[in-house]
Amino acid sequence: MSNNKTGAVLVIGGGIGGIQASLDLAETGFKVYLLEKEPAIVGRMSQLDKTFPTNDCAMCTLSPKLVDAAGHPNIELITYAELEKIKGEAGNFKVQIVKHPRFVDEEKCTGCGICTNNCMVQNKAYFNRQPAMIELAAEDAGKVNTIINNYHSQPEFLLAILQDIQSVYNYLPSDILRVVSQQLNVPLSKVYGIATYYTAFSLKPRGKYVINVCMGTACHVRGAGMILDALTRHLEIAPGETTKDMMFSLETVNCLGACALGPVIVSNDKYFGKMTVSRVEETLEKLTVSANRRDAETLRR
Amino acid sequence: MNRIKSPEEMESLIQQIIQERGRSEKIQITLCGGTGCHAYNCQMVIDAFEQGIEKGNLSERVGIKVTGCHGFCERGVLVVIKPSGVFYQQVKPEDVPEILSAVISGEIVERLLYRDLNTKSKITHEEDVPFYKKQTRFIFGHNGEIDPTRIEDYIAIKGYAALGKVLSGMPPEQIIEEIKKSGLRGRGGGGFPTGIKWETTRKAPGEPRYVICNADEGDPGAYMDGSLLEGNPHLVMEGMIIGAYAIGSSLGYVYVRNEYPLAVKNVETAIEQARGYGLLGRDIMGSGFDFDIKVVRGGGAFVCGESTALFASIEGRIGEPRAKYIRSAERGLWDKPTNLNNVETWANVPLIINKGADWYAKIGTENSKGTKIFSLVGKINNTGLVEVPMGITLREIVNDIGGGIPKKRRFKAVQTGGPSGGCIPEDFLDTPVDFDELTKVGSMMGSGGMIVMDDHTCMVDIARYFLEFLKNESCGKCVPCREGVWQMHNILSEICSGNGKESDLDLLMEIGETITAAALCGLGTTAPNPVMSTLRYFRDEYESHIKDKRCPSGACKELVTFIIDVEKCNGCGVCKKNCPQGAIIGEKKETHTLDGNKCTKCGICFEDCPFGAVMVR
Repeated sequence: MSNNKTGAVLVIGGGIGGIQASLDLAETGFKVYLLEKEPAIVGRMSQLDKTFPTNDCAMCTLSPKLVDAAGHPNIELITYAELEKIKGEAGNFKVQIVKHPRFVDEEKCTGCGICTNNCMVQNKAYFNRQPAMIELAAEDAGKVNTIINNYHSQPEFLLAILQDIQSVYNYLPSDILRVVSQQLNVPLSKVYGIATYYTAFSLKPRGKYVINVCMGTACHVRGAGMILDALTRHLEIAPGETTKDMMFSLETVNCLGACALGPVIVSNDKYFGKMTVSRVEETLEKLTVSANRRDAETLRR
Repeated sequence: MNRIKSPEEMESLIQQIIQERGRSEKIQITLCGGTGCHAYNCQMVIDAFEQGIEKGNLSERVGIKVTGCHGFCERGVLVVIKPSGVFYQQVKPEDVPEILSAVISGEIVERLLYRDLNTKSKITHEEDVPFYKKQTRFIFGHNGEIDPTRIEDYIAIKGYAALGKVLSGMPPEQIIEEIKKSGLRGRGGGGFPTGIKWETTRKAPGEPRYVICNADEGDPGAYMDGSLLEGNPHLVMEGMIIGAYAIGSSLGYVYVRNEYPLAVKNVETAIEQARGYGLLGRDIMGSGFDFDIKVVRGGGAFVCGESTALFASIEGRIGEPRAKYIRSAERGLWDKPTNLNNVETWANVPLIINKGADWYAKIGTENSKGTKIFSLVGKINNTGLVEVPMGITLREIVNDIGGGIPKKRRFKAVQTGGPSGGCIPEDFLDTPVDFDELTKVGSMMGSGGMIVMDDHTCMVDIARYFLEFLKNESCGKCVPCREGVWQMHNILSEICSGNGKESDLDLLMEIGETITAAALCGLGTTAPNPVMSTLRYFRDEYESHIKDKRCPSGACKELVTFIIDVEKCNGCGVCKKNCPQGAIIGEKKETHTLDGNKCTKCGICFEDCPFGAVMVR
């Protein structure tokens, strides 16, 4: 490997990924600037106990790399600083970095810790920071609280709570998932675990009309695939997507239990049975027309 | 509503309701309000009847009753006039005035009667319709008589009598003995003897114990559990209460698919009503036995039908199964002894208690007792739910009850057991339907899906379809299922699109065997079954996809072309007008031509041609 590398690399983010990248680059001979917005490089990994899939101790993996990165002649740490601007192209970038003031002379500080102990104002410990409480709009907060209270804030009803939220919002908004996690005292990761595992949930806003194409075996042998293709063609979206005007979402469902009507599609509780490819367009029209009429009626009332 | 304080009070309530009903001379119009008929818009028919009765001031003489699924979904909306038993099918809102006036004058609306498929003669009464005639409807038959939202309707058919019998002096051990003697086996697919499961749970150390009703009917093409639960929730609940009493449990769960909104609603109503009568809650019928039921809605994951995954889901976790070194009867929900049975299994319990194990054991074959409900769907004339005694042949189900294949096409196979089952070809149509015989021919009983396929169904495509389903539904916990099914699906997709290699078939077998040997849960180990069974009986279809790059059934889109039959086309122009690609050319009244380069094989021309001139090759 040749040693006369030219140029320098800016690595943004001093977590385990950034540290490892910097070390690898520095080893091959590049000058590396490692930028980190917190006062020290370390990242999230230090907050973990064990890592997947080997169950290794996280700190045991991380700490030698921290020492290496801090002492490597080719790595320059720029901590407590953020990237402001970036210009140029590959091979020739100019970046502007804003460094937050530390009010301590970095050249002289050895990290002895005396000042931290003697400071009269107690700062909350770095790793015990709580995520900020999410404030929902009053209307949303009301709705979410009612749902959670229906289940007496018990974490075992997480699935049911998410189902109810989805039936109100048509999807699971991320703010609300955070609130659910805080109120039930369940880690956000677990809430997301459930939300992404069960196919009934959507994390993206869905259209006003969610068209579910039944892909049960009975519908399949009667040509459900062709119907799905036709809907894809007409709406110009793939299954799982929503039209730009937020009118239609196209989804598939494993079996609706209406096998005699196969192939069957259902949209907002309205069933369309014995579908044919040529009836797809007409059905979509019917759906929008009846929808508009219903809207008009609600307005009149 | 008064709480029932003793089994004797229950008995007198039953008699009281039966007598009251017997005195009434009202004509009852019963309408099917199951999911299938809902899809046919039965609500509009119901509204029309209500308005008609109100307008004609008939409310003294005629009543309407919206019941659960009658089973004959093909012909919905179904209307049966009681007590005469006149059966109308495919009823539309505009037919209602005619029916009402016929009901009053005692006449029959001829045009709405069912017409026999073979003899073309009209059939007046429900019990004479061939679809029903061959069935033995012990469990499902009551669906047509009761309004699932009214507990009194269930009591009127001697509902909760079995519970009364049990609580008036059958010790739990005797109940378990009775269930064991009846030979009842789990209807969810496994076929495990129910009595033994109950006994293990009863004897397992640990408190509390739980009973669970598994209504997470994930098999595509099977809908009998949902229909039973929505049409007769009290029957299932009575079974659960008896089971809980025998096992010594005080809390039960019904885990039901959220895709069955009607079942969720009806079972919740039923629980409320049963609580009102003191049939759930503290001190049931004054016996000192406490029991209550909670409803949990599933999140749309197939694997949650597996017991340990279902427990995880009830506990509010991700529905992943665990290895069953310890049976769930010993350590199940919240690590406590748990008895999980399928909807249909629970529904059989009151019947066994009422009629006795000896009576029950006479129905069926040596090792499979009682009846089984199947959902007969696919390429069949009479789609619907059928309840038949174990031991009936597949041929009887398909031809006599199902009325054969539509459009006089050829029968090819019947798929049983859902994604874990297999396809049974014509040669085995005389196989008696029971747990062991179906396993012998390479399929399984499963929960009761029965999908009929004709010569236009490609077996390779069906195998690919099931694997696609399983690939999406694999929970991802164990490698053999997560990666193996994925690979098998890839290979099958390649074969279906004409890129198959001859070595693929052996590779499929090899991966399949590995998955069966190594996957963690029951759904994983059976995942390769759709491929294995089609490879066993329809290897020639696989070979023609691979060697000749041809799909003999014309189902695999990449391998077929649409052609216009010159003989049949008379140039009507329908296909030309409807083709979204403008791929059809030709002058009016002259034979049309299809431009293969533009054709996207959407199938519109095939569907629309009034002369059947568009062919799929």
